Amino acid sequence: MTAISSSRAVAWLVRDTFRQALASGPSWLMLAGSAACAALCLMAPVDGSAAAYALEQQLASWAVHVVGLLLALVATAGMLPAFLDPHRASVLLAKPVSRRALLAGKFLGVLAFVAFHATLFVGGAWLALAVRGGAWDPAFLLCVPLLVLHFAVFFSFSVMLAVATRNTAACVFGTVLFWLLCWAMNFGRHAAMGTLDPHVISPAFGWVIDSAYWVLPKPLDFQLVLSDGSHGEVLGLGRVTERGAWSPALSLLASALCGAGLLAVAAYDFAGAEY
Amino acid sequence: MSVQLQTAPRPAAPAAARAAAAEFAHVAKTYTHPLFRSRKIEALRDATLRIEPGEVFGLLGPNRAGKTTLVKVLLSLCRPTAGTATRLGAPVSDRSTLAQVGYVHENQAFPRYLTAVGLLEYYGALTLLPPEVVRERAPKLLKRFGLADRGGEPIARFSKGMLQRLGLAQALLNEPRLLVLDEPTEGLDLEGRRLLRDAAAEVRSRGGSVLLVSHVLTEVEQLCDRVGVLVGGRLVHVGTLADFVQHPTKDRVRSLEQALQQFYVREGK
Repeated sequence: MTAISSSRAVAWLVRDTFRQALASGPSWLMLAGSAACAALCLMAPVDGSAAAYALEQQLASWAVHVVGLLLALVATAGMLPAFLDPHRASVLLAKPVSRRALLAGKFLGVLAFVAFHATLFVGGAWLALAVRGGAWDPAFLLCVPLLVLHFAVFFSFSVMLAVATRNTAACVFGTVLFWLLCWAMNFGRHAAMGTLDPHVISPAFGWVIDSAYWVLPKPLDFQLVLSDGSHGEVLGLGRVTERGAWSPALSLLASALCGAGLLAVAAYDFAGAEY
Repeated sequence: MSVQLQTAPRPAAPAAARAAAAEFAHVAKTYTHPLFRSRKIEALRDATLRIEPGEVFGLLGPNRAGKTTLVKVLLSLCRPTAGTATRLGAPVSDRSTLAQVGYVHENQAFPRYLTAVGLLEYYGALTLLPPEVVRERAPKLLKRFGLADRGGEPIARFSKGMLQRLGLAQALLNEPRLLVLDEPTEGLDLEGRRLLRDAAAEVRSRGGSVLLVSHVLTEVEQLCDRVGVLVGGRLVHVGTLADFVQHPTKDRVRSLEQALQQFYVREGK
């Protein structure tokens, strides 16, 4: 009975968070962005399905995984600090639901919100390009789960900052800085592995950049996965792959594990936090 | 200074009901500055107190006396640095007993996008109440607190007094065995205060207990069986209201304010 009641409470939190996020200003902005993107795709001078697929790749790697991700992180960064505000939280924390369940409900609610908007944006653009250029291959729709996973990894860092500081500005700037740091590390590692001669890289340097690569989330790899590695040419990604130093599946798994670790730290911190 | 504990005689109760509503044994709480570890604030010092089932207990004291810290320890919002505390017979670390506790905070900040009914459903779910119970109780509580015609309105449009009434309604949703009221009359009009007194009386009539933290002495006089006075983190007096207002040297009673003033002066507050 308690387990059922607890899961019902988490479901309520998910629903409530989704509703709260949907009613916010940034949500309307995102809706407008999705509508504008679909309209532009309908009007784009696309000549055949090859051009449509090329446009889909550009949308996937830049509009979704850079602009979309950063917009979603900024739009949702304030939700956890507001929830953890002592005036609001003290009555909630005096309820029998565990703090971990409260955090899980909030986290899943935000993910549901991002998944909803990602589906609208990607689904709208895909349908428009399919109608306009005949690109009916559903591979582009994979952007939705990948964006949600990408977002979940970095939002976990935002949650950790929210629990530690209860400050929206710290969450926004801290998370964007973390994303930039991870992107630079990801780019630097692939560039070093792909363009430098293996004899030039000292073993110690190689070990350090490899460790940083596998421990931290890998935002560039999300882009590379979606663009079929076409943007990786400049990095010499072919050579990196030949040397067995890039595996899309392992990269995504490692990023997901890092996100789960960050979320576990946040949950541990929140369980012991004093109000 | 020694703490004098007095417990009013009570009728015998069944064993299950005899567990204290709240019990603090030599509880201390020291807050440490997050950056400068040597900077410490002793919010509670050696507090020992027992709140009986079926009693309304008033907690008095000047600002920064440690009253809210005592409430936070009771509600598992913070952990004591020393000593032990129990809630409804179980250690405060056991969150399951929170399902039988109602809490009204002095500055309630509810999610503004919810309606009054939505808020009660939300808080009911977090209190682990079955939805059908919430659906049955919520309209009754809204009617009782004069919010029946505003149930479908977003609470962003509510005044402070209406929010306090809604706060009382959410605290009573689970028919609590322990009701904790931390400065509950802030923003309440006369009718709201009467509803608050009725709520406390109802909890007591069911055998439940009420912990009232307040600066409004008339409320304390009207509601409480016993009072405790916290000054500088120490419980300097615990006893019945009659004992409290009895002049220590003369054969007459004082006002509650005069009695309280005596402790503040003695403790240099």
